[in-house]
Amino acid sequence: MARYVIKRLLIMIPTMIAVGVIMFTLMNFVPGDPAQLALGSGVHTTAEIEAKRQALGLDRPFLVRLGEYVGNIFLRFDFGKSLIDGTDIKWELMKRFPHTAKIAIFSIILTVVVGLPLGIYTAVHANSAGDRASLFVTLLFDCMPSFWTALLLVLLFSLKLKWLPSSGAKSLSYFILPTIANSLGGLAGFTRQVRASMLEVIRSDYVTTARSKGLPEKDVIYGHALPNALIPILTVIGMRFGSMLGGATIIEVVFSIPGIGQYLVNSINNRDYNACTGGIIFIAFTFAVIMLLTDLLYAFADPRIKAQYESSNKKVKKNG
Amino acid sequence: MADHTHNKKGGGHHHRGHGKKGKRHHIDPGIKPGSAKYIWASISHNKGAIFGMVFLTAMIVLSLLSPVICRYNYAATDFEMMKSWPSIKHLFGTDDLGRDILSRVLYGARYTLIIGILSTLLSAVLGILLGACAGYFGGVIDAALMRFLDIFQAFPSLVLAMAFCAVFGTGIDKCIYALGITGIPGFARLMRANILRIRNTEYIEAATTINCPTWKIILQHIIPNAVSPVIVEIAMGISRNGLASSSLSFLGLGVQEPRPEWGAMLASTRNYIRDYPYMVIIPGIFIVFTVLSFNLLGDAFRDALDPNFRD
Amino acid sequence: MTEKNEAFFEIQNLTVEYHSGNAIIHAVNDVSLSLSQGETLGLVGETGAGKTTIARAILRILPEHSVESVSGKVMFEGKDILEMNARDLHDLRGRDISMIFQDPMTALNPVKTVISQIAEGYKLHHGCPQAEANERAIKMLEMVGIGANRAYEYPHQFSGGMKQRVVIALALACSPKLLLADEPTTALDVTIQAQVLDLIKDLRDELGTAMILITHDLGVVADICDKVAVIYAGRIIESGTKEDVFDHPAHPYTQGLFAALPDLEKEVERLSPIEGLPPDPSVIRKGCDFMERCPHRCDRCTSFDNNMVELSTGHFSRCYRTGNEEA
Repeated sequence: MARYVIKRLLIMIPTMIAVGVIMFTLMNFVPGDPAQLALGSGVHTTAEIEAKRQALGLDRPFLVRLGEYVGNIFLRFDFGKSLIDGTDIKWELMKRFPHTAKIAIFSIILTVVVGLPLGIYTAVHANSAGDRASLFVTLLFDCMPSFWTALLLVLLFSLKLKWLPSSGAKSLSYFILPTIANSLGGLAGFTRQVRASMLEVIRSDYVTTARSKGLPEKDVIYGHALPNALIPILTVIGMRFGSMLGGATIIEVVFSIPGIGQYLVNSINNRDYNACTGGIIFIAFTFAVIMLLTDLLYAFADPRIKAQYESSNKKVKKNG
Repeated sequence: MADHTHNKKGGGHHHRGHGKKGKRHHIDPGIKPGSAKYIWASISHNKGAIFGMVFLTAMIVLSLLSPVICRYNYAATDFEMMKSWPSIKHLFGTDDLGRDILSRVLYGARYTLIIGILSTLLSAVLGILLGACAGYFGGVIDAALMRFLDIFQAFPSLVLAMAFCAVFGTGIDKCIYALGITGIPGFARLMRANILRIRNTEYIEAATTINCPTWKIILQHIIPNAVSPVIVEIAMGISRNGLASSSLSFLGLGVQEPRPEWGAMLASTRNYIRDYPYMVIIPGIFIVFTVLSFNLLGDAFRDALDPNFRD
Repeated sequence: MTEKNEAFFEIQNLTVEYHSGNAIIHAVNDVSLSLSQGETLGLVGETGAGKTTIARAILRILPEHSVESVSGKVMFEGKDILEMNARDLHDLRGRDISMIFQDPMTALNPVKTVISQIAEGYKLHHGCPQAEANERAIKMLEMVGIGANRAYEYPHQFSGGMKQRVVIALALACSPKLLLADEPTTALDVTIQAQVLDLIKDLRDELGTAMILITHDLGVVADICDKVAVIYAGRIIESGTKEDVFDHPAHPYTQGLFAALPDLEKEVERLSPIEGLPPDPSVIRKGCDFMERCPHRCDRCTSFDNNMVELSTGHFSRCYRTGNEEA
């Protein structure tokens, strides 16, 4: 397994460096002078702007700045300072990350806890009334924009029923509506994916073999079909987790939760490109870690992949 | 499961494993699966697809005609009619500036449709080219292209689209570029997997052994077999990008006020949700049905194009 | 093989229909056959004739999502399997009747070790501790020629022939009274086929299991079976002892099958294949199923009632000629 972990890390590290390089390069070519932005609104003399440029190190060649930026991120975990208020972006991100992480983690938990059993049930009872109802509802949820769902939830549970708060992040109850709004669409899609994966496995030959052994239906489904269906579903969960991390961005704006997403949207609107680049790279890092963990779990769950990376002294036997 | 399959007195009770299959009983058995006729027959018997086609056609026609058929201009403010609930005069009510929501919603359909369709076509064209190159040439080109696309897939897609919006700025065209570029890796991977799958099939091998020229193999064997998943993916992509474009506009990064893009409309009226919920509910319903229509069409295409690929 | 007692296994008028897209497929039509203890029946026919469907219908493991209807009776030791409740059915599967599947590549669960897959059924039917079931599984693996050192490996670590051995061990773990072997060698290399077939034969003799061997290979039938049933378009068109059918094939289709075989003792210019294709199973036909391809076809065939004609005791043929003219 160690070999597999190393191999995955070797792929991940250059990808992450490339992410840093590309983001910095893209933002560098955005129209608008960062020095002017950093000075704030109002009229500034050329000398003032030039001084600011030097203070920000913008007078140096592009490649030098790029190298420094990427080096700072990877060696010192330093994302630089905000152009607008000069705050340290790293600390801003660290301060906000727990909120974003909470939304994403609660969302994926809700998704798996509801979507997995529902997907299995609908696959086992394919074409029953329950399955049809689930297909219809999940299809509809899948098409609902999360910000609209969020607004409807606020309308019903905060404004009409007054059960739950509609903005802020003071306690866990503040995360209930954001979690539901963020996961509803993904939950619907996930349920359908579980159903499809499970259906495919249920109709496979080895499930028939299990049945022909005399196993009760329950053991056939949970003992034989499910472990196989779960392997591809693991990857799906990882992908969903990642997209819920991205989706948290919108949710944070709707519910005024001071997370990374809100920070990102604000910095884009304020043209604070340092903060924006930092936020995006930070999200990419988190996403990469999630995908890495998913892949490792996948390899652990699937004996076929596990065997490929088993310690090399025990050679995989191909023939008997 | 299998325990219930048996029906003793034969023929009395019909055991149907699948409703979808049940639906296909309407298609004339003489029509061959895979033919254009079959695809059309299958789609035109699919209720979801019919709903999608009717809804989308209606939206396109109404959006184009909205300046003519609507009593109010979508941008015309009326300070005497601000925030008025739906009535005979204003079927969907008016917003905070007294603008007629019906006119705005109908006119605004064009943004979601145009951005959704054009951005997906942009991803499809570039993605298919890259994917086909990677799949066809293989080796170093393949590895390099795939590693490059890995970089784009290192972001949640919405965050990547936001990054491009930050770079390009706001506006319809910028939004199309942002979503279009974000979607490239998906199409490239799909196409590459397609080409690899088809290249390794025995009928390609057979065509090669009888000295069929390469261009003919590509034209007659690879493309027709690769095209079905791409069509399905395009329909799904339009649905995804339509949703994403309204999300971006809602965040203020896509199409901006005073243009009546649905997401932007929601962003500008969300503060009135407590007292005037219709302002938020109505544009949202249109987003849902538009996205749903493309989704249903994609599903119908998938069923029609590949009879094996059904659950 | 001598008849030990009354038929302990009997299929009566089994009919299975599938629905596929927009058509109803008549896969098995009114099939009846019987088997005594320890006896081996060869079910012979070409691809699509309905052989596998019969085997799966016996264990009620037909693909649920495409089955339209199943009717008839499958009597095992006096009980109709098709009427059994779920509990009795689960007790019967694997313990009394078990099956060897055609494709060993897909018949084993990829995420479970082979020992756990073999031990599972034994533990279930005997209610014994895991250790005892594992012991049994290892014994079964050794019987099929796989060493105990490989018991904890996964299916992907075995070759095709080895996988089929595992499948056989799995099917025989509970010493079933009836074994359904569905083309057990078709998916294997020719060199392995004989090995696996010998293995099945030896184990059958050792365990005294009755067997229905599904095959399209008449050579295999000659080698292993006591009785033969030839199936065409979902119907048994000739049945009898191996000697009856091999020495005096009565139905034109059976005759055609033998004519299509190479014979080492005779010098023949070329083999004579049966011309044409089996009829479309989605169309309900009148008259004889085989008449389209039959060299002896005449007007009477179109009004043939498809009843079996008994030629000699236990030798049946579904052709009107066999009763009247000499066979």
